[in-house]
Amino acid sequence: MDTVLRPFRTRRTWAELLYALVAVVLGMAGIVVAVLALYAGGLLSITLVGLPLVALWLRGAGLLGRLHRWLAGRLLGAEVGEPAGPRATPGSGFFGWVGAGLRWTPGWRAWAFLIVQFPAALAGYVIAVTFWFYGAFFVAYPVLRLVMPAELGDDGRFHNGIQLWEAGYLDTWPWILAVVVTGILLLAAAPWATHWGLWPQRFLVRVLLGPTAMSQRVRDLEATRALAVEDAAAALRRVERDLHDGAQARMVAVAMKLGMARDELDELQDGDPAALTRARALVDTAHAGAKQAVAELRDLARGIHPPVLDNGLPDALASLAARVPVPVAVTTDLPERPAPSIETIAYFCAAELLTNVVKHARARQATVAVTEPGDGRLRLTVGDDGTGGARTVPGSGLAGLADRIRTVDGTLTVDSPAGGPTTIAVELPLRA
Amino acid sequence: MRIVIAEDAAVLRDGLVELLTRRGHEVVAAVGDGESLRAAVEAADPAPDVAVVDIRMPPSFTDEGLRAAVTLRRDHPGLGVLVFSQYVETRYAVELLAGGADGVGYLLKERVADVRDFVDALTRVAGGGTVLDPEVVTALIGAGRRDGELETLTTREREVLALMAEGRSNTAIANAVFLTQGAVEKNVTSIFAKLGLPPSSDDHRRVLAVLRYLRSGE
Repeated sequence: MDTVLRPFRTRRTWAELLYALVAVVLGMAGIVVAVLALYAGGLLSITLVGLPLVALWLRGAGLLGRLHRWLAGRLLGAEVGEPAGPRATPGSGFFGWVGAGLRWTPGWRAWAFLIVQFPAALAGYVIAVTFWFYGAFFVAYPVLRLVMPAELGDDGRFHNGIQLWEAGYLDTWPWILAVVVTGILLLAAAPWATHWGLWPQRFLVRVLLGPTAMSQRVRDLEATRALAVEDAAAALRRVERDLHDGAQARMVAVAMKLGMARDELDELQDGDPAALTRARALVDTAHAGAKQAVAELRDLARGIHPPVLDNGLPDALASLAARVPVPVAVTTDLPERPAPSIETIAYFCAAELLTNVVKHARARQATVAVTEPGDGRLRLTVGDDGTGGARTVPGSGLAGLADRIRTVDGTLTVDSPAGGPTTIAVELPLRA
Repeated sequence: MRIVIAEDAAVLRDGLVELLTRRGHEVVAAVGDGESLRAAVEAADPAPDVAVVDIRMPPSFTDEGLRAAVTLRRDHPGLGVLVFSQYVETRYAVELLAGGADGVGYLLKERVADVRDFVDALTRVAGGGTVLDPEVVTALIGAGRRDGELETLTTREREVLALMAEGRSNTAIANAVFLTQGAVEKNVTSIFAKLGLPPSSDDHRRVLAVLRYLRSGE
């Protein structure tokens, strides 16, 4: 009983009914305009005015498409993405604008939509009205029939009711009951019937008014390209900063100390014996400073490209794991060696994920596994038995990592319930 | 000399303090950013003679030191300011000299390794002289497009021009190129004549004139 009554309480049911009624009106107007445009465009296209007008119309069709998308979104719950707008190369002027408009596929698809949508809207309208209107009419029949004008039947009596066949008036109680029951059944089925009757329209909106897979891919690629470029620039800035503040500053200090030591040795020559002790102290400091600079440069170089990576991921990950304060169990199974760029990305992913484990997870044990599940992809899994709760919040390190992985069409999945354990899986193609 | 140091890398800052203290100078304050530098100079009593300022400091790590140096020169005319950085940026030199060339210096950080020369440069700046790193001068000469006119100079004259641009006095130039002072003066007159510059006996006005000449070719 509840399954029958529930749709009547949800807003969606009434929204869909509204859509069915509105769409057919819009559809009628739309198809008229679209066909007129077809006719006019065809006739005028041989004149100078024709093509710009078509370009203008296509943009208009796009706007109408947007209206339909909005309606479908609000009333039917069919959220369809917006395709990218027409792009004229800047500076190409009027002709560029016309050309861009004519080349704009979503405009042509919207035009097609306006034409094809009408039959679909009509069908949806008919189904909706049949079930709702007739359902309501039949349910109210016992009362309504009394309002209907009485007719003189062949049997000489006055009847109040619908005439189904020559001698059959539906004004006897069995018939009236039957009508009411039919009405109830129709009404009960109305929400479902409307919903499915609107399926063709939802389909058309998605197929003709949404972005094509190709254009969506292009937009994805543009976004990830921008990310990759930003990332690279940021990485280089970091390297420069590290060099400037670290190794360079240290080397200047070393040079300074040695310069001072040299002066002390000169003073020694001039006969000041205490200068030897002072010189020795300065040389010691310079010596230590030089060694520290070497260590800093080594770390910096490793942060740019660890030499061990040239031996392959298994060795590189083992060496990475050895430097982590938490015990890490590394397993690798790589029948096919991935491209060097993928190895680098996988290595730095593992490094960052292990850093997260050390910083946040409070874990006692971590695992790193690299496998090739077979479909030309590489799977890196980093797990720990810590407190869990890792999430890819926008702006967090994990989100940044996911973005960087996306630039090579990789994926990052996080399984980290509060309380742990945590498993983060990165999938990358074997070749970038 | 009473010296204020502004340098954000601790290892360098401490090294400078040690270097200068060993030489018998007094380091009034050693700070790590532009704001602290200004505060330290204001608070120092009696006023310091010279400030050694790193150009690249927090918060934005671009040219805080330069900003602070320019402000200090405006607010404390008697204070010598020696800026140093790990890179040569001719733009910094120009900005620094825009307020006049007396008591101003611009050196590369690695010059501190030549301790005697560094302290010497600091003393010159404290005394109102001008000091420009030879690398900066090379960059300025190289960046200008006055090559045509510079070509009219002899090799020796170009050497003297570079040393003049570094802010050295005739005596110092004479020592550096192993000429007599008279020979140097003759070169200087010839240079000024060939380049069409007004002759000036004042060392720092001379620097300005040479630099203005070199920069105007850009």
